[in-house]
Amino acid sequence: MIDSRTIIAPASASGRGGISVIRMSGPLSNKIAKEMCGELAEPWRFKKCNITSNNGSLIDVGMVVFFKSPYSYTGEDIVEFHCHGNPMIVNLIIESALVLGAVVAEPGEFTKKAFLNDKIDLAQAESVADLINAQSESAIIAANSSLSGNFSKQVNGILDELTEARVFVEANIDFPDEDIDRTHMENLNERLIKLLGVVSGLLTSVQDGVKLREGYSVAIVGPPNAGKSTLLNLLARERVAITSDIEGTTRDLVRVPVNLAGLIIEFIDTAGIREDPENSIEEEGISKSIEVINKSNITLVVQDSTSVKPFNVELGESIVVMNKSDLMKESQPNDKNAFYVSSVSGEGVPELLSELIKKLEVDEGGETVFLSRKRHEECLIKGRDFIDESLEGLRQDLGLELIAENLKESHNVLGEILRPMSSDDLLGEIFSEFCIGK
Amino acid sequence: MDKYEVVVIGGGHAGVEAASVASRYGAKTLLITHDKSKIGEMSCNPAIGGIGKSHLAKEVDALGGLMAKAADKSGIHYRVLNSTKGQAVRATRVQTDRDLYKLAIQELIVSTKNLTIKEGSVIDLDIDDLKIKSVKTDSGEKIFTKSVVLTTGTFLGGVMHTGLEQSPGGRIGDPSSEKLAKKLRKLNLSVGRLKTGTPPRLNKNTINWDLLSPQSGDTPTPLLSYTSNEEERPKQLDCFMTRTNKETHKIIIEHLDESPMYSGVIEGVGPRYCPSIEDKVMRFSERDSHQIFAEPEGLNSDLIYPNGISTSLPLKAQEALVRSIKGFEKAEIIRPGYAIEYDYFDPKGLKHSLETKEIEGLFFAGQINGTTGYEEAAAQGLMAGLNAALQTNNKAPLILRRDEAYTGVLIDDLVSLGTKEPYRMFTSRAEYRLILREDNADMRLTEKGKELGIVPDLLWKTYLQKKELSNNELERLKKEKIKPNSPEAEKIHLLSGETTSNNISLLEILKRPKVFHHHLPQGENILPNNVIDEIEASVKYEGYIKRQKADIEKLQRNENTPIPSSLDYSNVVGLSNEVKQKLTEARPESLARASRLPGITPAAISLLMVHIKKGRRLVG
Ligand SMILES: Cc1cc2nc3c(=O)[nH]c(=O)nc-3n(C[C@H](O)[C@H](O)[C@H](O)COP(=O)(O)OP(=O)(O)OC[C@H]3O[C@@H](n4cnc5c(N)ncnc54)[C@H](O)[C@@H]3O)c2cc1C
Repeated sequence: MIDSRTIIAPASASGRGGISVIRMSGPLSNKIAKEMCGELAEPWRFKKCNITSNNGSLIDVGMVVFFKSPYSYTGEDIVEFHCHGNPMIVNLIIESALVLGAVVAEPGEFTKKAFLNDKIDLAQAESVADLINAQSESAIIAANSSLSGNFSKQVNGILDELTEARVFVEANIDFPDEDIDRTHMENLNERLIKLLGVVSGLLTSVQDGVKLREGYSVAIVGPPNAGKSTLLNLLARERVAITSDIEGTTRDLVRVPVNLAGLIIEFIDTAGIREDPENSIEEEGISKSIEVINKSNITLVVQDSTSVKPFNVELGESIVVMNKSDLMKESQPNDKNAFYVSSVSGEGVPELLSELIKKLEVDEGGETVFLSRKRHEECLIKGRDFIDESLEGLRQDLGLELIAENLKESHNVLGEILRPMSSDDLLGEIFSEFCIGK
Repeated sequence: MDKYEVVVIGGGHAGVEAASVASRYGAKTLLITHDKSKIGEMSCNPAIGGIGKSHLAKEVDALGGLMAKAADKSGIHYRVLNSTKGQAVRATRVQTDRDLYKLAIQELIVSTKNLTIKEGSVIDLDIDDLKIKSVKTDSGEKIFTKSVVLTTGTFLGGVMHTGLEQSPGGRIGDPSSEKLAKKLRKLNLSVGRLKTGTPPRLNKNTINWDLLSPQSGDTPTPLLSYTSNEEERPKQLDCFMTRTNKETHKIIIEHLDESPMYSGVIEGVGPRYCPSIEDKVMRFSERDSHQIFAEPEGLNSDLIYPNGISTSLPLKAQEALVRSIKGFEKAEIIRPGYAIEYDYFDPKGLKHSLETKEIEGLFFAGQINGTTGYEEAAAQGLMAGLNAALQTNNKAPLILRRDEAYTGVLIDDLVSLGTKEPYRMFTSRAEYRLILREDNADMRLTEKGKELGIVPDLLWKTYLQKKELSNNELERLKKEKIKPNSPEAEKIHLLSGETTSNNISLLEILKRPKVFHHHLPQGENILPNNVIDEIEASVKYEGYIKRQKADIEKLQRNENTPIPSSLDYSNVVGLSNEVKQKLTEARPESLARASRLPGITPAAISLLMVHIKKGRRLVG
């Protein structure tokens, strides 16, 4: 079974560790690697090189190694890029390879290729199946969760709009003799321009989302003097925030990027929020805090376990942290949902961190989230370009069948994100829209 | 020992193509049909072609079939639909003289070598060990054969409805096939009911033609067949148009409870596109008018076919509704419209060769497979007849791919997806629409036909000539340039907004939007239109076709991975129950076909691929 797809994906979860490995398999991999890294070393040898983008600008200084077919994991030509463990760098390398002809790997595709090329034995076949399933499932979950209902709503809107445009175009092609309403065709151009705008807009927000999500941010909030800054200092293992025993010392936001199990998480210490701030400087700090809470992935609500204060600020996803557990008296009530930590002794901190990582949904899903978003991005780019091409066709007065062709292609790629549409579905739409028959 | 290699049952549009191609192939063939004089009868509208359908008719023609030739011998009104759009979606529609069409088909079929035609009704099939052995006719005769092509159209369990009255029949004036239908229902094939309808026929002399708006055929008048010539064509007639109005719609709504479709008497499924005027009025209540084409049924016929008002209301209501229409105020109905319900077999029970999966040597073609339309029937008839003949000679079947022919799209859709309504061809069903054109059906298929020996000499000669002309012209276009400052150069500049220069070939110039072949300096040869169309299309579509070819190649690899028919989907690890059920039902023959089933995800295909490979490695 020959497979002409050259696929690419990070081989280490995003951002974890000091280096990232990106793996590319398929007939084009050698050629693409040469364009990005210059001549490669002989097979199976690492070479230190400048990794450049498809247009020649430097992305990173790293290593590249070529595994020659058939002696590789998949049995095909494989190239691995080893670069600095920075999600932006990983992203740029993959993007360049995509431009040069690679495609984003499908769930489990490396292993599938390996199996199909007799690289793994029969006993492992079951696990290949499981892997494909698990990964495509988590990709779906990832697609739904990480990109939020809003994303699928927008894609659905785009698909509906495309369907409608295609209904008019196809009806005009297949039923020129029927007295169907042709006014729709007159504003096709306008419709498509609008649609192009929507697709481009969504693409930009997905691309921004990719960048945002590759670093995570965690807000630390809580009543004044609950020990937020000490906790942060502990996490960062260096004193960054000013701490004192006077309430309200932390007026400005303190941002500390922390490398946690290979993940870059930015902790943001906010001003202590109180119900009624006495002065306006404080008030300003508080509105800033609320903004931070809204923008971050998760919020740690830090309380002083010896004197819990009511805290009524609207939060998204959050974890309650009871600080100063070392000072707690045995008799005090135990909140089951809270994490009790001592930012002086460090007690309870590991449990808190593993909960945090779990909540960020980055442990196992990390790779698939990244890939599925990358695929969406690819689909949106292609979908946009096909709409653009159909507009160009309208401008040049090309035959309607060519406009139809581009709209169909656009529909096909965009449909991959959520729901593909068959020609029969489309005919159904035409028949319900127009009265057609002898 | 076998008396015949191929027995075709039914002399409709599928049957004649099946019988003709099997005998062209050289198989000893028998065609049995109820009534010889009705061979080639058009049950409904006397027209061949139209969008998607003319493509099928041309493909049948390119493989040596009869339909297009008969249409040219009887065509009285020709139009090219979509003539302002590109080649891929242009389609010829021919209105024919119903009697001349039938006559032409009969002439063509009677003169066929290796073919015997017999009148009679087949009442039984003899099947032994899941293999076809013989067929039995109503006169008690038993005819032995290696294969049977069943093309009985709307005749199986046919019931006709006019108002709430019903009578058994395969079409007006013809009996239905009850005994055969009973026999077939006993086989392990899944049966369903479908319905279709036809409008009343009006007396030409009772229509006030002055009130209708005329529509003349196209000039220059095209031909449907690659091998027809002008002289064969009869005189051309005009068509006329009128419209229904509010009064018409009121009458229909008043009588709705007498319509068998609306009163629930008919249980068969009709097409989603509106077949009856009742449907149109009810489903699109916001419209207060629908168009009607008044089409002559023939040069010497008094019958007018009012295209647009197919109905199964009772005669009285039909009269009232007809007479409410402008120009039809005094029109007389010669034959009422009616709806017909009939048995069809779920085409998912067929292989791509159109042989039933269940019974060896039994092939189905035409309306019996859930399609509607003459062209759809003819295309299937040709493939089934050919494959029956090939099989009896131990040859592999001819299976056309979706990128090779509309015929391939038609059959693949039917056998992979089945159909829940009468299936009709539309160009939007073809993903490779730009490749499947009227102008190149011969380029796509005639050589294949020639290899199998089913292409008549005249067609082969015509094909070779066309190919040569086309190649020469392409060469010329590649070589020749436009002289700068010549009137032609000026013209091109004006059209395309771009200048020409000494080193741009005519071929390059033809790629520009708005520049067509007739704008270029012409060569010595006068080229037939279909050569120009083919060149223009291949130049203008080049980029798109390249893209589609890349898709096809990708698909081809999966197409070449067969799924063993014994595969038990419940054993495939990782598939959801829903997917397992879908695959078990559809039994796709290859991975590519599986991937086209609705609801089958790429992940499911990967799982299947792994499973198949696993099976293979266990064996070898
Ligand atoms: C009322 C009506 C309306 C229609 N409307 C349309 C329409 O609007 N548009 C459209 O595209 N198509 C329409 N059609 C369908 C079109 O006529 C058919 O699709 C086409 O003719 C099918 O071709 P066929 O070869 O499958 O069957 P048919 O043309 O029906 O031929 C069947 C043949 O089999 C013979 N036969 C049947 N049983 C036996 C037997 N037991 N033994 C021997 N011979 C047998 C019959 O005598 C007949 O010659 C309509 C058909 C009818 C009846």
